[in-house]
Amino acid sequence: MAGKEFKQRIRRALDNASLRGALERFADAYIVSREQVYAGRDFESLRQRIAAIKADAASRYEELAEQFTRAVEARGGKVFRAKDAAAAREYIYQVAREHGVTDIVKSKSFASEEIHLNAYLQERGITPHETDLAEWILQLMPGERPSHMVMPAIHLPKEEVARVFSRYLNEPVEPDIKNMVRIARRELRKKFLTAGMGISGANIAVAETGTIVICTNEGNARLATTVPPVHVAIVGYEKLVPGIKDIVPILEALPRSGTAQPITSYVTMITGPVPAWKGEGEGIKELHVVLLDNGRTRMAADPVFKEALQCIRCASCTNVCPVFQLVSGQVYGYIYSGGIGSILTAFFNSLEDAADPQSLCIGCRRCAEVCPAQINIPELVLKLRERVVRKQGLSRGYRLALHGVVARPKLMHTLLRAAARLQGPVTHGRPLIRHLPLFFSSLTEGRSLPAIAGRPLRDRAKDLERPLSKPRLRAAFYSGCVIDFAYPEIGEAVYKVLGREGVQVVFPQEQACCGAPATYAGDRETAVKLAKQNIAALEGARAEVVVTACPTCAVALKKDFPELLAGDPAWEGRAQALAAKVKDFTELVHELTGGRQGPFGPPGGNGEKKQGAGEGLETGRQGSLDRQCTTSGRRAEPPGELTQAGNQAVKVTYHDSCHFKRHLGLDQVARRVLQGQTGLELVEMKESDRCCGFGGSYSIKYPEISRPILERKLKNIVASGAEVVAVDCPGCVLQLRGGLDQLGSAMQVKHTAEILADCEDE
Amino acid sequence: MRHAELIASFTSQAEAMGARVIPVAGPGEVASKLVEILRPLGLKVALVDSPLVQTAGVEKALGQAGFSIEKDGACFARQADTGIVEFDYGIAETGTLAMDATDLKTRLAAMLPLNCVALLPVERVRANLTEVIDAYLGRGSWPGYFTLVTGPSRTADIERSLTIGVHGPERLLIILIGDNGGGHHGR
Ligand code: SF4
Ligand code: SF4
Repeated sequence: MAGKEFKQRIRRALDNASLRGALERFADAYIVSREQVYAGRDFESLRQRIAAIKADAASRYEELAEQFTRAVEARGGKVFRAKDAAAAREYIYQVAREHGVTDIVKSKSFASEEIHLNAYLQERGITPHETDLAEWILQLMPGERPSHMVMPAIHLPKEEVARVFSRYLNEPVEPDIKNMVRIARRELRKKFLTAGMGISGANIAVAETGTIVICTNEGNARLATTVPPVHVAIVGYEKLVPGIKDIVPILEALPRSGTAQPITSYVTMITGPVPAWKGEGEGIKELHVVLLDNGRTRMAADPVFKEALQCIRCASCTNVCPVFQLVSGQVYGYIYSGGIGSILTAFFNSLEDAADPQSLCIGCRRCAEVCPAQINIPELVLKLRERVVRKQGLSRGYRLALHGVVARPKLMHTLLRAAARLQGPVTHGRPLIRHLPLFFSSLTEGRSLPAIAGRPLRDRAKDLERPLSKPRLRAAFYSGCVIDFAYPEIGEAVYKVLGREGVQVVFPQEQACCGAPATYAGDRETAVKLAKQNIAALEGARAEVVVTACPTCAVALKKDFPELLAGDPAWEGRAQALAAKVKDFTELVHELTGGRQGPFGPPGGNGEKKQGAGEGLETGRQGSLDRQCTTSGRRAEPPGELTQAGNQAVKVTYHDSCHFKRHLGLDQVARRVLQGQTGLELVEMKESDRCCGFGGSYSIKYPEISRPILERKLKNIVASGAEVVAVDCPGCVLQLRGGLDQLGSAMQVKHTAEILADCEDE
Repeated sequence: MRHAELIASFTSQAEAMGARVIPVAGPGEVASKLVEILRPLGLKVALVDSPLVQTAGVEKALGQAGFSIEKDGACFARQADTGIVEFDYGIAETGTLAMDATDLKTRLAAMLPLNCVALLPVERVRANLTEVIDAYLGRGSWPGYFTLVTGPSRTADIERSLTIGVHGPERLLIILIGDNGGGHHGR
């Protein structure tokens, strides 16, 4: 569980309205401008090139560092290899001392923050002046933290900046941005012209030529590396690339992904010492490059985490992160923020320091979609979580829940049945729990929880399994816990729809939890145990297909099981064989109804693709889904169930579940299936692929983060004007139904299976 | 891409990034154009000498028009209103200027004053950064201080509000020189 101090930081950030407003406004605009600046470019091939260059470099840092050093030295510069932060600090201090430096101008450098250089120099009587405007403002505000990797002062309103400047100048300054920028120019110019040394970071370091590449918009790096007679560049090993042309794709992506600019105003490439004014006349500048290790070579030797060294620090992963948008970089607590930040912190600081920050990731995978270095950030965060758990153990509550209950399916099922009997007084006979007296009330704030079903799906299965005379296919249904115990009706819908398509469905009784709660909590042990139990259970069904209606379960079966059991001779092959059989329900329906016939068309939006998609579906088998959809169907529905008025189509909006879209890639398939239904009109909501804030136990661990994410989702859902929200994940069903219930909304949330089941033959 | 298209793309990209592109027919027109555009910006000019600057007679023309011209000294370009520098290449894709700025005065004139005038003959416009890198690699050793400049200095650090001219020039004027009336000026 997150530390107290950490929780307090989250609280403070969430309560800071101006910070939240600024981050939200920025992030919303960013998504649009990023799209525009990449328009007409092949982002996939660009990121592949970058990933290849950086991955190759990471596998041979030693060689590249040597080559780089030779190249810099051949030009007359010095290279110092700093093993850790202390060595780097000391070296830089000694260089400053030798030259009798009292003032240093600094151009923004993460590496210098990482080694806590400013404090070190200050204690020794040397004053470093940050020259990046935002960094300088923050420097004038002791105790203030940067809140963003690229825009560290995005959280400060101009009035606050004006107060800071007034204090600094000892005269009133108006909160006029243009004028304040002028003041900064004037004040910092004095520093540039008098400082004895300039310190910069680097965005790229080229081994072939010994070149360091620095991108800025303000031009401060140019001044800091030109005017003072000594230049120290602090360069992490991960900035190394082999050849000069390797900078081209990185320079193409970095500003586009970072600030949605085609290029920064200045790109400066320094190769060896260059002329500078030294006292009386022109001389040759002194150039020192500090190559910083501080955990990087250890990371490069780590087969799992090596990938994170591909990062080009564009911060686009944080710009799109729904959690970062709420809590900001101030909460992560170390130099590098967001999902990637927690990974870097684990190596550059310590695993302990990364424990809290990594826990903030909800696993929505949005960051991985935009990362120009093709880093699978959420995957690495999970791996990190495993290591944290291995080292620190699970918290007591988690241990009890996972080892004591989830890992023992029989016990868990007994407890769930008991809960179903005992919950009467809580649910008041309604299908949703509005308050959970046994837990923190915050769990149900803004979201009702589902009641536990009186009869789980596993008990209903026998009644559902009427044998078909000539089944097309034999499928084992893997329901997952939520469908089994909270929403057995989704399971019934799956039976109904697949039965209609001639599929014989069976329910292997020995199936257990897929282990996702354990995996996402970093509890590998429980996950392995459950994987084995499920493989054995599903093999027993002797089915051609294992069908799921929960993408989290599908990912567990398809991807996690083979990975958890890799290297285990008895289980590896069995896990792979199972993985190959797993198919999502909606995907299977699409295939059975002819989706295989045509190539997938462009993404359909706002229902206008309806006809085309319908045709695609129906060319396969004689219009198997060409039915009149009457949501007033045969099932007894709670009051408020939508009926189709006259011939008016029912408006359905689709919510993309994170795993369904980003892991299984089925978002368009689901839309096509829905569009193929007569009587349904698909209307797109804004930000359909934004996380709903569920994240399994995340919503219990961080309800204060989960809730505002849900609120935004609900706003978009309601604004769509639809009557029904279709989703393909029971977790999202839980979250969205709960949220809409608390809003008092009449909107229905349905799993695609339920919608299809309601669509009857004419 | 045809050269005319490269020029058109360079011009539109540079302007989109906040630079002003001022085409002149040939080197013969540079000096009078400079006098015209620099007058409202202040009379102190830091000038970096180059063959083009000489053939175009920039120093003489500015001097006659009453400008004070700085070409050297410990405080070079520190007090000037405008720095005038010849660049090596233009990049059509992003409207970027490129130069080998190893020479100290070249660097200072382009970064210290509030206004920067970039002289660029049209035939030096290339399609993209790769072509420009190739051109330098073809010349031999890689420059000590290589600079790409795209538009004026900018910041959006306060409330994401775009503000021009923080540490570098607030105005970037590109004199794009046609090849009318003069030979090529390769550097
Ligand atoms: S997976 Fe989602 S929550 Fe986690 S870091 Fe990426 S964007 Fe943020
Ligand atoms: S992880 Fe990817 S998206 Fe995030 S900063 Fe690094 S390169 Fe950019």
